[in-house]
Amino acid sequence: MKSSVLLFSLLLLVTVFSCQEQKEASCCTKPATATATKSTVKTVSGTLPDMSLYQLSSEWQNQAGITQPLAQLKGKVQLVAMVYTHCRYACPRIIADLKRIESSLDEYKRDDVGIVLITMDPDRDTPEKLRQFASANRLDPSRWTLLTSSHDNIRELAALLNMKYKTELDGEISHANIISVLTTTGELVHQQEGLGLDPDETIKSIKAQLQRI
Amino acid sequence: MIQALLIITLIFGGCLVAQAQKSAPAAMVEVAGGTFVPLYGSNNQAVSVPGFLLDKYPVTNSEFEAFLAANQKWKKSEVKKLFADAGYLKHWAGNAEVGEEAEKLKDSPVVNVSWFVAKAYCECQGKRLPTVNEWEYAAMASETKRNAASDPGFYQRSLDWYSQPNPKYLPPVQQSFRNVYGLYGMIGLVWEWTSDYNSALIVGESRANASLDRQLFCGAGSTGASDVKNYVAFMRYAFRSSLKPNYTVTNLGFRCARNASVKVTASR
Repeated sequence: MKSSVLLFSLLLLVTVFSCQEQKEASCCTKPATATATKSTVKTVSGTLPDMSLYQLSSEWQNQAGITQPLAQLKGKVQLVAMVYTHCRYACPRIIADLKRIESSLDEYKRDDVGIVLITMDPDRDTPEKLRQFASANRLDPSRWTLLTSSHDNIRELAALLNMKYKTELDGEISHANIISVLTTTGELVHQQEGLGLDPDETIKSIKAQLQRI
Repeated sequence: MIQALLIITLIFGGCLVAQAQKSAPAAMVEVAGGTFVPLYGSNNQAVSVPGFLLDKYPVTNSEFEAFLAANQKWKKSEVKKLFADAGYLKHWAGNAEVGEEAEKLKDSPVVNVSWFVAKAYCECQGKRLPTVNEWEYAAMASETKRNAASDPGFYQRSLDWYSQPNPKYLPPVQQSFRNVYGLYGMIGLVWEWTSDYNSALIVGESRANASLDRQLFCGAGSTGASDVKNYVAFMRYAFRSSLKPNYTVTNLGFRCARNASVKVTASR
């Protein structure tokens, strides 16, 4: 009887354990590994406000090919726009608009204001392509960060930036033109929608954020 | 001893059943690939939709409850506002449980869920949300035809549904309209999230400027549309374009999709 009890408990242990193991492997392995490998991000997100875009755990690559979480943008007031480098019409204009805003912020340190371009075309916009684009457009690397990631991660960030975009059958991308202002902790505080607009309101919003630093 | 064996068999059997439910696409339906003209596409050209698998039913309250039991971070008390607004699961009495109304709601589609949590749920099942094109393509089907796009009676049914207020308790998913693919509730039950819901720019020359939206009320909103009579699709596209990813709505749920396995190996 004793041995049968032992056998029973042993079997029970094995079956329960095997079930547990399968369960863990089948459900939500993705988020589990994501948090495990990104402990640094997690500690950062502990101090972030609930509405911070830096709560996203996605990984991005910048124009230097370095992998970074969005939370790395923390600490600066960031101007964010979504573009793609093959774009002939709207994107050059949005970059012109960003430069116009940049030039009005000359008095501020590079450490205080950053400008972020997110590609909507990760298949063609490799980090190398982004680097070439940055140098062709004379984008100061101490101020401008160009980022790419997977289609899913880009779509997710776009949703949070109220950006609508769609790849057309001819490979062009139809997209909204929005310049967003993020606080030093990644909260969206201002958006300017359209091209060639008077940037006064946007500049005012950036300056208000800079005064809080 | 017999009792012990019985218990072991039960546990092991239960585990197998649980596994089978997770891995077998029994609750999914294959939607054969094809082409269609989306309401807002590129110059009214037909787009091709590769074959895919779609959940037979929208996700129910009880299925969502099971998901929350295993995923603490999506409980009402844990979720960040960035990922779900204040109305998240507001029809549930509990923090992670349906609560008092469980009997009435268990088989009803889960609503008041954000895009983020819908996406997380599907990823947890090894699936994904369907794209707008996939969803619209599958929703064109009536009981008898895969493409009921030119069938006025089919549209009328959707219009009739849209014109009715939401019932206090949404009906069980199994009792909803079944189309020719065997998909339930594509119309007549709830609206559903799609992965790229933020892809439609409802403007004439959509590349120009999405802020034109504001000027395109009434008739002008239809300038980019392929079929100006398709009010039903207009309503869906308009509704999607009003959403933000942390929004929760009392009649917005979701179901999951998966690439057809043949396509995956062929394209990768």
